[in-house]
Amino acid sequence: MPEPSGQPKAKVLLRSGEWALLAAIVIAVILTALVDANHSYWFRPLESLRDIARNTALLGIFALGATVVIIAGGIDLSAGSMIALSGTVAAATMVALAPAAMLGFKPVGPVIVAVACLASLLVGFLVGTLHAWLITAVRLPPFIATLATLVGLRSFARALCESTTAAFTPTKSALINVSDPLFKAVRDNVWIPVAVFGLLAFATWLILTRTVLGRHVHALGGNEQAARLAGIRTENVKWFAYCFGAMTAALAGLFYVANESVAAPVNQGRGHELNAIAAAVVGGCSLTGGVGTVPGTVLGAIFLRVVIDAVSKIIKTGADVYEGLIVGIVVVIAVTFSQVGQLAQGGRRLLPGPLGLCAIPTLALLCGAVVAMTANGPAGLASGLAALVFLAVVRAWESRGARAPRPS
Amino acid sequence: MTTGAGDLAIAMRGISKRFPGVVALADVTLEVGRGELRAICGENGAGKSTLMKILSGVYQPDDGVLEVDGREVAFADTRAAERAGIAIIHQELALVEDLTVAANVFLGRERRTAAGLIDDRTMEAECRRLLALLECQVDPRARTGGLRVGDQQLVEIAKALSLDARILVMDEPTSALTETESVRLERIIARLRERGTTILYISHKMDEVFRLADRITVLRDGRHVRTVDRAATTPAEVTGWMVGREIAGHEFHRAAARGPRLLEIRELTLPWPAHPRGYRLANVSLDLHAGEILGVAGLMGAGRTELLETIFGAGEPTWTGSMRLRGEPVRFTHPAEARAAGIAMVTEDRKRLGLFPDLDVAANVSLCSLREATRGGLLDRRREEALVAGPIRDTGVKTPGPHAAITGLSGGNQQKCIIGRWLLTKPAILLLDDPTRGIDVGAKAELYQLIDRLCREGLGVILTSSELPELLTLADRIVVLAEGRLTAEFTRAEATEQRIMHAATGG
Repeated sequence: MPEPSGQPKAKVLLRSGEWALLAAIVIAVILTALVDANHSYWFRPLESLRDIARNTALLGIFALGATVVIIAGGIDLSAGSMIALSGTVAAATMVALAPAAMLGFKPVGPVIVAVACLASLLVGFLVGTLHAWLITAVRLPPFIATLATLVGLRSFARALCESTTAAFTPTKSALINVSDPLFKAVRDNVWIPVAVFGLLAFATWLILTRTVLGRHVHALGGNEQAARLAGIRTENVKWFAYCFGAMTAALAGLFYVANESVAAPVNQGRGHELNAIAAAVVGGCSLTGGVGTVPGTVLGAIFLRVVIDAVSKIIKTGADVYEGLIVGIVVVIAVTFSQVGQLAQGGRRLLPGPLGLCAIPTLALLCGAVVAMTANGPAGLASGLAALVFLAVVRAWESRGARAPRPS
Repeated sequence: MTTGAGDLAIAMRGISKRFPGVVALADVTLEVGRGELRAICGENGAGKSTLMKILSGVYQPDDGVLEVDGREVAFADTRAAERAGIAIIHQELALVEDLTVAANVFLGRERRTAAGLIDDRTMEAECRRLLALLECQVDPRARTGGLRVGDQQLVEIAKALSLDARILVMDEPTSALTETESVRLERIIARLRERGTTILYISHKMDEVFRLADRITVLRDGRHVRTVDRAATTPAEVTGWMVGREIAGHEFHRAAARGPRLLEIRELTLPWPAHPRGYRLANVSLDLHAGEILGVAGLMGAGRTELLETIFGAGEPTWTGSMRLRGEPVRFTHPAEARAAGIAMVTEDRKRLGLFPDLDVAANVSLCSLREATRGGLLDRRREEALVAGPIRDTGVKTPGPHAAITGLSGGNQQKCIIGRWLLTKPAILLLDDPTRGIDVGAKAELYQLIDRLCREGLGVILTSSELPELLTLADRIVVLAEGRLTAEFTRAEATEQRIMHAATGG
């Protein structure tokens, strides 16, 4: 939101939307602590904290990459596939360099692990370069370029996995087990991904707010043509943004492998690019470019993971089934809330005309169905009806202004 | 023209409109007689557009009464206003570029066949008839985005005619038109008036206003200043009411201290492969000296912007010919190279090509010289503030502070910020592409003084403008482009509007 006053912005630690997000996180945690039948936040706070911290770090690392790409006015849909490719490259490198050790679940040694990780990051750099080339030289829209790599890279990773295992081990395989103690250590020490996330967030914040490059990223996203005419080498700024996006996804891919002790390109990180974009958007990034902050994205990632964790605590079974639903709902609600000011000022209506009329039963049905599936039938019916009544009241209240005669 | 009380097409009484933080209109009363052409004048932000948007149903007033043909009305949306016979042609045309002309004219009111399918044939025939009325040769089946701006505007007028609008609002209709197109528009306006259409005409251009209007209404700061018969006033008087103060005469008696030759362009040709003409610029040669302002005149499409972009390395790199900067041959392929060589360019369309709406004032000004605001590789807030303080003061930007939102500034102040941005790069040559477009009268005068001062300080300036008086006021020499060719060069003493127009129309 533009500030018309001359007040310096940087002295503000968090912007208003970010304070709201922080409050939402606190509320979500308190609610979960109260509602959860096992009260695990009371009895096992450390365990809960570890879970949320690990998941937040894993999401946050490449959400930072998504943030930079989005502020630069682009979009990177390929992060989930890049995660799979990165893990596969690391595992395949270790298989190629030490096939016997990998096959026998023995340590491969720190040198080979380091080489494998560097190979993954290098591949991240190469993928970012490919994106930037497709976008600036071939002039594909970012959505198309990264849609191609979204489908292409995962397929490539699966092929790489199969051919590497075929060449270096007795059997062709769709996954590679990774059991080196260094990876195990990363899995068992949650502070490692959290520290990496923290350092990366600080570095990203520093780049975006305190360097010439970061200012150019904002300028590029805000007005690309004006940026070029101001003498900014926009193609280089894009190159940086897409490499940063792909390399953070590559880094996240290494943590995925450590976490699951396996490189499984078929489904590792599948669909996670959208979670990263969601975290950035919840954190205040605008998909039209030029707007967004690192604290916002960090809070957005924490909020998403806290809500997902809350639902899994409250519902108990099959929480991952509901993950997508939660992310979807959170994004819609968060972005709607950020527009509340506009809604109030412009007299814009949420439920206008026949469309609004049809939206009322749609939303009520959705609400009722979700509650029915997660709690029980009667509760679902009750909440569906409650939503129906509530929305009908909102509709009536909104129509009131439009029908009333204008005061003269 | 006299109008009795019962003969009013429009009566707006005591209209007020507030937006968060601003009062856009305060108690404005406007009465327009049937068949009258009323000019509405005022600086940017005076409330002209808001008033017209209330009349055409885009906004609803907070206070006041609106009467059309003597009946009180309240428009909930533009469709309601259209039903009452009011159509508006916005300054920024509201056409769907990818649809055909006919589809745009009937957008939202498509004719249908008996089977309920779209009836293109009827719409095209109807559209052709309307366009013929407007002397427009455009094919109703042409893609709207491919038309010239002047023709697009006629499509909007055709749309208004198809609505059978009896009241037509035109918001700065000639701001994007060539002279020929403007003349055609004036003929069409005369024809519309014969049909009895009431026209509200918003314009900055005094010559137009005084040629066309029956009466003139001046708004300032959201208030009605006065309404007068055209015959009872003068352009200077109206301008005075618009700004609320005396405008200093723009006469600059600069000592002709022409410095060394900075730029030497010979036989510059820029091909245009997909066009029957084959070139955007052909064999253009010109010189620029330090301490002079070279004006480039020409109609829209004559190649003014292309010439500046080619010099700046921002255009197509396919040009031939030679360019020398202080005697050294140069050929820029990116604005970054031109900037490093000491050339600065303030682009034509400020919003689209110059401004960064998400960055604050300081960041907009410092953008091209950020390295000077760093300490140990990191941007230093204080250094940046110190860096931009100079140009903000020198160009006279009025801002609440260096970290205010740039979008909160007026057009003139935004333009000063962009000029300030380029002054920080310490250029030897400043290219100004129509720098006062869309800027109000008071700010224009300040910009003229700024440009004149920069020139006296030794800068070489190339200035294009869509307004000839501006070039005649500022430029030491004026070259004229017509369809990509340089057709004349005048010294300040030789130049007159007639001579320039003659050369610009290929005469």
